[in-house]
Amino acid sequence: MSYAEYLVGEPLIVTAALTGGVHGKEANPNLPETPEEIGRAAAAAEEAGAAVVHLHARKPNGERSFSTQRFQAIDDAVRAHANDVVIQHSTGGTGAPTADRHLPLRTDPPPEMASLDMGPLNRYDHLTSENTRGTVDALHDEMRDRGIKPELEVFNDGHLNEVHGLLERRDLADPVYATLIFGGGTLTRPRPRNLLNAVSNLPDGALFNTLGFGRHQLPLTTMGILLGGHVRVGLEDNVYYRQGELATSNAQLVERVVRIAGELEREVATPAQAREILGL
Amino acid sequence: MTCPYLEYHDEADGRQFDQPRAYCTAAERFVQPMRADVCNDRYALEHEAHCEIYREHVEVPEP
Repeated sequence: MSYAEYLVGEPLIVTAALTGGVHGKEANPNLPETPEEIGRAAAAAEEAGAAVVHLHARKPNGERSFSTQRFQAIDDAVRAHANDVVIQHSTGGTGAPTADRHLPLRTDPPPEMASLDMGPLNRYDHLTSENTRGTVDALHDEMRDRGIKPELEVFNDGHLNEVHGLLERRDLADPVYATLIFGGGTLTRPRPRNLLNAVSNLPDGALFNTLGFGRHQLPLTTMGILLGGHVRVGLEDNVYYRQGELATSNAQLVERVVRIAGELEREVATPAQAREILGL
Repeated sequence: MTCPYLEYHDEADGRQFDQPRAYCTAAERFVQPMRADVCNDRYALEHEAHCEIYREHVEVPEP
């Protein structure tokens, strides 16, 4: 993916990260947590232009769940409310053991996509999501066996090396799809030149998705559109619409990026187009 | 053993929730769901070693 793809009008895949696993309604009361809330948020995001929804599961008290049954309840709600949106499950986060991280892959039917974190990520002062190569390979292999396309989550430039390493260890179906993530801590420092640098270091033929945390969501996704990549927005990554003003919904954040894409004359992909682009 | 400063509240600070949520009585605020893993000592996490709020509150020195 490159600026050339932007010029030829490659459709833009918008992913909505609806809920996440870090913060909850204590951060923004509009963040969906229950299966019903997530299902309705997915439908609204799809209506606004999202082709993919990135899903985490929560317990009734808002805390993280990896349970297959909880993901199944969410998928059922998404399919009940939304039309045709692509379902992408998270397998990442916290210090949860690898065995738990496989559980989101075992719904019936399996998700069309799932996240695959490419390396460690620090949280707070004393918590790390390890994501060893052993964990990465084991999650990848179950995704391959169940026909799930991995979304390679690249938290920093070192993880670009891990993408190349994964391609040496495993035979991933084309196109490789990587999400480039920008923010604080372990993430790539959120600077425009760093997005250019990350794109230039992707494997040949790889597609990329741009994810900026917090206030970086708006400028870096806009830049990602211009570079011919795809974008992810949503309350998982950013609970604000603008400084000091909480977003009212995931759909509100999707609507904004769709408006920007329209001004930049980039067509927004339908779920069917997204499936074609991603080779689902 | 969970953190002694962990309680589950359905309301505090003018906020109300249908289900009781993790509340830190040391910080006097609701806890982010991911932090609740530390409060509850899940996944080999231990609040005494891994929660900076607890450590500051009881004045545990950094190693």
